[in-house]
Parts: sequence; C-alpha cells; structure tokens
Amino acid sequence: MVVVGGGTAGWMTAAGLVSMLGVQRLGEAGIEVTLIESEAIGVVGVGEATLPHIKQFNDTIGVNEAEFMAATSATFKLGIEFVNWGRKGDSYIHPFGEFGLSNDGVAFHQYWRKFAGEPGVGALDDYSLPVVAARMGKFQPPSDDPRSVMSTYRYAYQFDALQYAPFMRGHAEARGVTRIEGKVIDVALDPESGRVASLKIENGEVIKGDMFVDCTGFLGLLIERVLETGYDDWSNFLPADRAVAIPCKSAEPLLPYTRAIAESSGWRWRIPLQHRTGNGHVYSSQFIGDDEACDTLLKGLDGEPITEPRFLRFVTGKRRKLWNRNVVAIGLSAGFLEPLESTSIYLIQEGITKLLELFPADGNDEAEVAEYNRWMDLQFERIRDFLILHYNATERDDSEFWNYMRTMQVPDSLAERLALFSARGHISSYDHGLFLLPSWVAVLIGQRVIPDSYDSRVERQSDAEITRHLSGLKNHMAQAASSMEDHAAFLVRNSMMSTAA
Amino acid sequence: MTAERIFVVGPPVRAAIFGAYLAARWLRPGRCLEIAVEGESECSSDFLTRPNVHHFHHELGLPIEQFMRQCGGTLAFSTPVETALGVVRLPFTQFGVPRAGVGFHHYLMRADNLSDQPDLNQFSLSLELEQAGSDQTLSQLAKLPIEFGLTVNREAYAKTLLSFAATNGAKVVHGEADPGNVDLVVDCRVSDALPTWSAQAMTTGAVGAFAGIEWHVMSSAVKRLVNLAAPLADCLPEQAEWTRLARAEQERIADMEELLMADDLDVVARSTLQRKLDVFSACGRIPIEDYEVFAAPEWIAAFRAQGVNPARYDRMADALPRAELLSWIAQLKVQISGLTEQVRTA
Repeated sequence: MVVVGGGTAGWMTAAGLVSMLGVQRLGEAGIEVTLIESEAIGVVGVGEATLPHIKQFNDTIGVNEAEFMAATSATFKLGIEFVNWGRKGDSYIHPFGEFGLSNDGVAFHQYWRKFAGEPGVGALDDYSLPVVAARMGKFQPPSDDPRSVMSTYRYAYQFDALQYAPFMRGHAEARGVTRIEGKVIDVALDPESGRVASLKIENGEVIKGDMFVDCTGFLGLLIERVLETGYDDWSNFLPADRAVAIPCKSAEPLLPYTRAIAESSGWRWRIPLQHRTGNGHVYSSQFIGDDEACDTLLKGLDGEPITEPRFLRFVTGKRRKLWNRNVVAIGLSAGFLEPLESTSIYLIQEGITKLLELFPADGNDEAEVAEYNRWMDLQFERIRDFLILHYNATERDDSEFWNYMRTMQVPDSLAERLALFSARGHISSYDHGLFLLPSWVAVLIGQRVIPDSYDSRVERQSDAEITRHLSGLKNHMAQAASSMEDHAAFLVRNSMMSTAA
Repeated sequence: MTAERIFVVGPPVRAAIFGAYLAARWLRPGRCLEIAVEGESECSSDFLTRPNVHHFHHELGLPIEQFMRQCGGTLAFSTPVETALGVVRLPFTQFGVPRAGVGFHHYLMRADNLSDQPDLNQFSLSLELEQAGSDQTLSQLAKLPIEFGLTVNREAYAKTLLSFAATNGAKVVHGEADPGNVDLVVDCRVSDALPTWSAQAMTTGAVGAFAGIEWHVMSSAVKRLVNLAAPLADCLPEQAEWTRLARAEQERIADMEELLMADDLDVVARSTLQRKLDVFSACGRIPIEDYEVFAAPEWIAAFRAQGVNPARYDRMADALPRAELLSWIAQLKVQISGLTEQVRTA
C-alpha cells in the first residue's frame, strides 16, 4: 500500500491503514504501508476545525487524547457559531448535540415553535446544552449516563493542522509505516490493466505497490494527472472559489467553538487554538477581488497577524470516481467542499473507514470500487446540499453575491426539504448522511426559516404543560452549563496545553 | 370549525392495523375516523408481525401479554419464505456476535479455512430457537439478546385491533359504506398501484410476496401519516414526503423479493439488488440504502439460500489471533446451544 503525500490526509490514511490492517495487528496477513512525501512541497494543512467523528477515529487507532491535544495545540469544540447569515446581526450556533428533549415521538423544536416569540421562551439555542455552554466558554466531557442532560452532546477539536500531520506521522511510524522522502517524478502504469504499477522518485528509486492512495491535495497527481479521472464541478451551487488565510495572536477568552461570519461575498472563519487563532476568508472571485477580500479578513482579526496572508484557489466539487483502478483519492485530491461545516477531515476519515471496510484481496476489486464510489458520492452530495442551505436560506439582499445565492435554483432534494420544513417543521429524513435532524433544525431555524405551523401532535399537551416544560428545561440547561468548567481551565487542569501556548 | 374526517377501507387485518393506530394516535376531539371493513371475515391463517410490533403495540397502549392471549400469539424469530428452493428462514437477530465492526460471518469464514466449523445457521440464536420448536414465553426471552416478532391468528388480530379502534372512538362499518364527504380516503386494498398520497386519497399498495411484509407495510404507512401530522386540507409537502418514503420502502422490499424468487441471479433487474449481490459475493459486506426494511442477518440468510457466498472474508477478521478465534467460536457455539436448551426445557 503506497500513500502519496504527507499532509493531513496522507498521514491520517497511513495511520488508519497501518493501525487496522498493519502487520503489528494482523501478523502475516497484514499489509505494508509506505508513505512518500517531499519536504520541498508545502501542505495546505486542511481542517483545523473538526466534527465529533474525529474522536472515534483517534480512539480507534489508539491516540491518547491528552497527548494529542498538547501536541496539536488543540482546543475543544462544541459547535459552530454562524454570524450574519440569516440577516446581518444574527447569530446562532450549530451544536454537536440535541435541542431539548423529544416527547412522545414529537421533536422538541415543534413544542418550541408553538410558543416561539412569546415572552420568556427565548431562542431555540437556549434549549441546547452545548450551545449554552459554548456561549459561556465552558467545557466538560459528556456523561455516559443517557438519563443525564450532560449526555446530550458530543465534542470535536480545533487543532493546528500543521502540527496534526507530524503527530499522525509519529503515530503511524511507530506502528510500522515506512516513510520515503522524495518527490514523485514518474508514474508507471501496467500496460495491460492500466493500473498504477510503480512510482519513481527524484533519487531514481522505484516504489512498487498493489494499491495507491493519492493524498497529493489539489494536484491529484495519480487520480487526475495520470488517470485523468475527471471532476464534477459544483461551483454553480457553491460559487466560492478562493480563500485567504492568516493566523493571528490569541484573544481571550479561549472559546470552545468555531465562528463563521458571513461577509458581502463569502464568509470568514475564526478558529481559536491554544497558541494562536486561525482565520480565513472564503469568497467568490466573481463578486470580490483578492485585495478587497484580504482587507476584509485583516479588518476582522481580533489579534495581531502572525504571518503574511496566504491565498488558495479551488473548484468546489469532487472527482468523478474517488477510487479509480488501483488508486483511491483521499483528502483534497478527492474533492473540495468549503470548510463552512468543518467537513474536510470528516471526509478524509470516511474515505479511510470505507476503504478499510472494502479493502480488496487482489486485483479483482470491481464490486468494492463501485460501492466505495457510490458511498463517497452520497457523502459529498449530502454535505453539498447542507452547505447550499446556509447560503440559500437567507434574507440578505445587501450584495450581488447574496442576491445570487438567495435566488439560485437549488437541487430538487433540497427544495423539497425546505418546503416540508417550512410547512410544519418536519425534516425529511435519510439514514446515511453526516447531518441529521438536529443539524438541519439548527441551521434552518437559525437562519429564520420558521415553519408556518407545527406538528399537530403538540396539541396533545396543554399550553400550560408545555410552557412549564420549556421554562424548566431552559433553566436546567443554564444550570448544567454553569456547572461546567471554564474551557481554558479544563485544558490546563488536564495537562492538555501545548508548550507553545 | 369543520371536523377532519378519515375513511379507511380495506380487508379486515389491513384496515384494522391502519385504523387502530389512527384511533390511538390521531383521533381527538374535532376529528372523525371511520374504518370500512371489506369481507365478513378473514381466514384463520397465521399472520406474522416483525420485531417492531412491540413498539407499535406499546404506542397503542396494548400490553403485549394480553394481546398475545387474545390473538393466539406465539413468538416468531424469523420470517419463513416459500421459494423454489424450499422454505428459507430470514432470522431477526444477527448471526453470532460482531467484533470491531466486522460481522461474525467473516470470523467464521476465516475459522472455517483453518478447521472445519459448524454451519453459520448454528450460530443464529433466532434459528436455533425457532428450530427448538417449543412455545417460549416472553419472560424466558427477556434477558436474551434476541429480536422477535409475533405470529398471530389473522382473524383474531383483526378483531382485536378493530375492537380497540372502536373503543378509542373510531366507527367501524361495512366496506360497502359510502365514505361521503371526507378529507382523506385511505385505500388499504391489495393493488398493484404504487403507494401514493395525493389530494384526498391514499393507497398503501401491494401486500408483498411473503410473511411479515403486509404487517410492516401497513404499520409503517400509518405511522408515517401520523408522524407527518398536518391539516388534511393543506398538506402538499407532507403528501410528497409520505409518498417518497413509502415508495422507497417498497423498493427495498422489492429487492428482497427479487433475490428470494429469482431463478437466475445472473439476470437481476434491480440495480440496488445487483449492488448488494456484487458486494456481498466479493467481500461479505452488505451495502445499505436509505430506509432499509431488512436487517443484515436477513440479507445474509437470503444470499446463502440462493447459494451466494462471499469470495473472501474481511481482512480485519485477521486481527484475532488464530487460537483465540477458534476458542471464541467454540465457546459461542456452546453458549448458543446452552441458551436454546435452557429455553426449550424451562
């Protein structure tokens, strides 16, 4: 197994493969994993902000959380705050957890909807423990007791991606991954099958493999340059095509959430790490120039810049086949969806997990390839629809960009979802996608898509019962959040602070 | 305000399932429900309900023990399907115990490569209990890791549910009754039409070619209607969603029907089934779609009945050292036999 490229995707893939299928675990049936990377090639350092699934990945491959936190200057993350999305001045948090408690099969937001706007009821956010805790700057790991309100959330990490890859490298090498330094200068294909047979690096060494994982980022060295797989361009739905990034000095307090601030032609991210704050501006070059985009970013910083701004260009979309012949594309070589919902590392992880599940025995892998591609296509498409929702469900009309996004034709599946929710707050369900009911509710209601009415089963309870329940729950959430520890204090007390912080 | 009215029409058991749930979960002041039963009575044949029958009856507030007495119910651990190859049993509970995200059948396949092992069916608590044949009781199964449905007398089941519906405010009438001016007519009759909710009419569609499906389709159709609770005069998005989900469910059932009834698996019409066949025969994994009706053990049993077996096991099954693997499998076999014997002789 040869992994090409040593950024976040490359080292995560190598660590995942060797931990689950390596010789140390499987003995003689284990596979050998080699990773080729060149120090001369920079890494994009994708995905400083993550989703809760990352914890499962780390746990599965045996990563110690405290060591990981310290090594990558990581902070905890309870959700993403969206500022100025529905209207300028709006703010809501998409939490990693539930809103309230469902009752008799009816989702909590239906009860909230009936009384929304009435005195004392407040925002839906007030009924989500991770939101309330995030706003207070608090953190505590969730409880395993399903009866406790403290079990109603999960958490993710915000970490320095440039530190994460070396951390994963250490983990992977300790489990048997062989690292080869060098730049790939030639790729040999098997003349009969057209599969990649070997790679040649600058010093003349030839590396053979049965399978290759392309983690070469936007370049797509194997999947595109060599195999010419093709790319599905989704920029008609998501026209942002550039980003400018710059880290700045940390500002107090250390927040346990990522912030996404809508701007006139895109949005800015703010990711608080232990030793610095990551910032960036994702924008569409059809609507704003690079200089203006950079100015917008710099004006929004809440600390002194640490480096010069760095520009990125991308085309939103995905490869037509993420697994083509004996090459699997993972990371930016597979496709790009803007990091609005911190999905980059999730997609890497999902690619690794699915590859492990379907790992072929020999060259006869047609069924596995087809299934891998179907599954990953589904993941990409469902995330794409969820991202489009953020731009389309808006009242903003203050720029050409927002007028375009607000009035664009969205995919049918999303249009049907919006119609269903707008009527009585029902969420059109699917079983296999990243974003489930609470996520859709968070963004829809957060962006002012308030259903015209509510589920009529709400009427089974008296108004007095519901308002008493709402009031009690809101207080309970506030008390539970108050009882948590300050986020920064938690990191210090648990020896999770890096020496750089 | 005018009362909302639903008129349910169909054969006794189908109309009864739909009507009883509506009576319990939809009917309230300001709403009317009529259940028009076509045909005087149904034959006293067995009627299989799948494991989610427990949740369904819990939602109705019908205690399962009382319900079993009234309907002559016995526990059911699998779906028996008559095929050209004989009766195939689709177990409700997984084979053996999965480890580290890898199904038990992969481990057994690896163990079988090392030394001869019992057939996979012998690691199915469902199939072993079914074969043991005695009438198990609910209390005996309470602590076992097993899913089970109920086999009831069709006629008694229909009568019990219709009586329940009437007690809860529904009006039960003969099938010839004129629905009159209603907001929704639910047609539960067997038909080849696709399940559809449009304007003031809902059709629940076909029965399904084997046991358990009729109950599943009817119970999920009515639950879906109630869960999408909306004023019946103004519910276009909900109608579209109900129809989408019902048709997706029908697609999943059709996959299983084609697999079990196929004479020649080289000529499979359904692409979703073809994908399942290809992936299972390659590596023993089962691709899942949205809204699956059948669980993994049912698919595994159906594939095996058709002679489809994986070409290889999941490589992650190699993680267990050889001796540990063989000892674990032997212990599991003993445990399953012991549990079966314990229940049989209790």
